[in-house]
Amino acid sequence: MKASASSPALERRISAFLDGEANEHERQEIEALLVNEPQARALHDSLKRGTDFGRRVFDDAMKEPLPLELVRTIKNAPLPRRAIRLPDDKKRQALSFKPSRTQALVACLLSLCLGGGIGYALGTQPGSTRLGGSEVQLDSRDWLDDVVAHYRLYTRLPDRLVEIGADRPGDILAWLTTGTGIAFRIPDLSQSGLTFAGARLFTADNRPSGLLLYRRGDEGEIIAITFSKTRPDTNKPVEDIRADTGLVSWSTPLATYVVVGPSSAADLDEIAAKAAGLI
Amino acid sequence: MNNPTQTMDIRRDLVALLPRLRRFALTLAGTAEDADRLVREVCSRAIQKSHHWKGEGRIESWLFSLMRTAWSDEIKKRRKTQPSSTPKAQGVVSATEISTMATSDQILLSLPSGLASVFLLVDVESFAYGEAAAILGIPEQAFAERLCSARLRLSEIAPEASERRA
Repeated sequence: MKASASSPALERRISAFLDGEANEHERQEIEALLVNEPQARALHDSLKRGTDFGRRVFDDAMKEPLPLELVRTIKNAPLPRRAIRLPDDKKRQALSFKPSRTQALVACLLSLCLGGGIGYALGTQPGSTRLGGSEVQLDSRDWLDDVVAHYRLYTRLPDRLVEIGADRPGDILAWLTTGTGIAFRIPDLSQSGLTFAGARLFTADNRPSGLLLYRRGDEGEIIAITFSKTRPDTNKPVEDIRADTGLVSWSTPLATYVVVGPSSAADLDEIAAKAAGLI
Repeated sequence: MNNPTQTMDIRRDLVALLPRLRRFALTLAGTAEDADRLVREVCSRAIQKSHHWKGEGRIESWLFSLMRTAWSDEIKKRRKTQPSSTPKAQGVVSATEISTMATSDQILLSLPSGLASVFLLVDVESFAYGEAAAILGIPEQAFAERLCSARLRLSEIAPEASERRA
């Protein structure tokens, strides 16, 4: 039955009444109308029928299969990176990066002199520019590239992921301590959903480096912690992505550490912060 | 220190809510293709802005609002680039024509513009008028009117379509 002859105001009032959105006074009025007015009752039934039918239609819409690619895109979407305090951060916070006016002036003058000097030197030796460029390119590969290369190699060999398994922690400690010259502990990172899988020894920048490998969740995501006596150019923590691999490194006076994982793992910095306190 | 599992959950939540997000997107966008594109865009925004979500209330409310905003932006963009283009035809289909439609999507998309979203938010997603109106960015009074229209429209086609679909 259709109730198109009713007034729009009555339609809206009954519609709101159905949802419990009418106030007490309205509710009582509508209830009285539904008892006494056949037209109001017909309208009530009509709205109710529309609601029931609409719900069924929307329920059917839910049964349609989702595009797999859409699910995959969301599952693998990289999470935003957040600032995490790593061991070196305290030192950095103590430093003020805002220069005074005098410092700014001195820096400008120094830059001017230095720039002029370099410009003059290059201008008088034009043939040397190209050679210098190629040297820079040759030096651009650093020890972190070695770390990434090894990580990528071993994570693609799930059956040969580790040299010594997690069931022999004593052997791992003795072997890697001797091999790298760095005393360490195997961090328990279960709070980050990581299960220790085992360890490896490899070389990065011609120095022996230890590699502790962890697995995460059902997806089998591999997260690794590397440590070595390599001294990088900077002691500041480094966060980088190379070849789809995320890196977070930090240094202590005794060693340099790197947490390595897929670039989609947004919590590498958090894992690094935890590992720094446990290793 | 932030809890990593908390940050991971937004993606799991999104995947779990995907059918509902897609359904809401369909009521806004009008075609499955545009709806999927809209869902992808909104999920990406939600992941990037996940720190804005404080865990208060229903996450669907936040996501639906993001989606409505994203769709409004998209409409504006399309109007600028293609001034002559009109939204997908809605509200021009008669009740008799609707009753011959086979799929639920076709019935939803044939509702006059804006009615399907309004109906979905209250009668399917169980939002109160105020919250649902806020999600769609319209006054509560206008929202109530549209909801009533949607119910009456669905009521007109209900018996015939039900028989055909059975």
